[in-house]
Amino acid sequence: MTTAAPNAGGAAAILERHRHGRQERLAAWLRSRTLANSWQWLAGLVIFIVMLGLQQVMDPGTQRLLTSVFLFVALAQGWNIIGGYTGYASFGQVVFFGLGAYTVAVLMNNYHVSFWASMPVAILVGVAFAVAIGIPLLRLRGHYFAIATLGAAEGSREVINNMTPVTGGGLGITIPTFGAQAPTAYFGKPGFYLAFLIVAAGAVLIAAVLSRSRFGYAMVAVHQDEDAAAGVGINTTRVKVVAFAVSAAIVACAGGLYAFQQIEFYPTDVFDANFTVLMVIMVVIGGSGSVLGPLVGAVGLELLAQFLRVNLGTYNQLIFGAIIVVVVVFFPQGVVNFFRDAWRTRQFSLLDNVRRYRL
Amino acid sequence: MSQFLQAAAYGLVQGGLLALVAVGFSLVWGIMNVVNLSHGALAVTGAYLAWQLNVHFGIDPFLAIPVVAICMFGFGYVLQRGLINLVVNAPIFLTLLLTFGLGLVILNLLQLLYTADDRSIDTSYASQSFAISTVNIPYGRLGASLVAVAVTVLLALVMTRTRLGRAIGATGMDRGAARLMGIRARHVYAITFGISAALAGIAGTMIATVGSFNPTSTPSQLTLDAFVISVLGGLGNMYGALVGGLVLGVAESLGGLLLTGTWVNAIAMAVLIVTLVIRPTGLIGKAQYSGRVEV
Repeated sequence: MTTAAPNAGGAAAILERHRHGRQERLAAWLRSRTLANSWQWLAGLVIFIVMLGLQQVMDPGTQRLLTSVFLFVALAQGWNIIGGYTGYASFGQVVFFGLGAYTVAVLMNNYHVSFWASMPVAILVGVAFAVAIGIPLLRLRGHYFAIATLGAAEGSREVINNMTPVTGGGLGITIPTFGAQAPTAYFGKPGFYLAFLIVAAGAVLIAAVLSRSRFGYAMVAVHQDEDAAAGVGINTTRVKVVAFAVSAAIVACAGGLYAFQQIEFYPTDVFDANFTVLMVIMVVIGGSGSVLGPLVGAVGLELLAQFLRVNLGTYNQLIFGAIIVVVVVFFPQGVVNFFRDAWRTRQFSLLDNVRRYRL
Repeated sequence: MSQFLQAAAYGLVQGGLLALVAVGFSLVWGIMNVVNLSHGALAVTGAYLAWQLNVHFGIDPFLAIPVVAICMFGFGYVLQRGLINLVVNAPIFLTLLLTFGLGLVILNLLQLLYTADDRSIDTSYASQSFAISTVNIPYGRLGASLVAVAVTVLLALVMTRTRLGRAIGATGMDRGAARLMGIRARHVYAITFGISAALAGIAGTMIATVGSFNPTSTPSQLTLDAFVISVLGGLGNMYGALVGGLVLGVAESLGGLLLTGTWVNAIAMAVLIVTLVIRPTGLIGKAQYSGRVEV
């Protein structure tokens, strides 16, 4: 620490030594990089570039489908940070989605602020709300935290619903997108494909960097045993609140972009509890507490849901529910975690896996 | 003043109805540590059962209660024994997800069978009421809340006075120790869930008698109400749900009188959160249940 050598050349020298140390660490880190331990980053980059390239040859239907897949990748990664890594099952994460959406819509519609200026405000609003409700609510554990966040989401929807002069209330809100009234020109399908791709990639990147950082290990420690984590000197309250805020920032960002894409929406659309449920399902089915899990869960389930909607008509919800039940029973730890463990231990028996949590 | 009394009376009878929905939910949560998101779906299943009995055989909904309760008990027992027991030891998101998926399946089956139309059981007395000075009390709702009180008292007696009730309570307190005493936890859990489903079915029957129901919006509202009431009343005490239900019923009714729009819903959620933060044991719940680490 800097206090170890008081006045040894003054503050400038301390800063210099500090910066020098950082440069050395960076150089050592770069030397340690090999193909074996960097392939995940490279794979992510390749997928991102392929997705960019594919857009040129894609028909509008596929483009729309993938845009919604990207939205859910971002949401699932956001939920995973608080629900998966930190182990606090938030059942009201949609509140940040709704707040992000309404912040963008209110700023663009009522105050003619451009979309680019509205987005950072939306993220800030999400973070501020997460800190405000996180400090009291993150003291609760398990189901009690789940209900409290659910209550926060339902309550916030009602507040937005009743603030008619500002938000339009139950009549909905419309973002002007045409002519001189539009603060920012509408992106159109290709534009939103690109925007959601960037948000999803950003969410994956944040999750990947966080999970490998000191803070990431602190989150996992809080998940595994909060008292023990506090015992080894982790400020558990800070870890939980920061994880909640990061998660909220990602979800609020996705919500703001979603608002601009939808143009017109109602409180019940962007505060829909189904968004939260989908986030949870995607993370749990994919595999919580990993970067790959929510990615696989979001891509797989959104493609499946769209496929069922197109091909099965009235039965789609029924089949979707049945699939959730079957997957929860057979892969309680998530698909990605099951196959990773199965690969390591050579135990591919699904029946043994079912026994894991059976009474 | 009479308006105020009328709202309070309406809130009390409505609260009794809500309490009936929440009793079974709070039982399963307290004993098995499972938050059953399909509880509203089970209530609506009971409502359709009673509706079917009324339409085809002309059975009065109050007389249909035993039939509905027995059918729903069997359904609940099989569900727990065959499905929910498989993940009952898992982290909480899994039981939440499983019961959510289960609810989705049940509701979509109901919707395929009966369409999404609003239905209600028509009786001669549902729309009639009697007056105590200036306060009108509808017969149907009064009957429903009396059923709620009776069922709650009966359940409390079963839980404290019978061998089965004590076995359920013991399993809820410490499953390992209960198993060492020769209690079959799988069977006890299945019976608990069966009782909860039967109570949900009775609640559904009463809802169908005093109002209308459908398979799309009713179940989620009921599950949310059960959630709020269980937290408000507290777990581990059979009367918790009753107290929570009455408090919520009166608060919403009076709130509707004083506030405009849907502000009353926002207030209900604020009350929920404040209760959780300040007194997580609920109004009359036992501390053991809120101190439990549930991850």
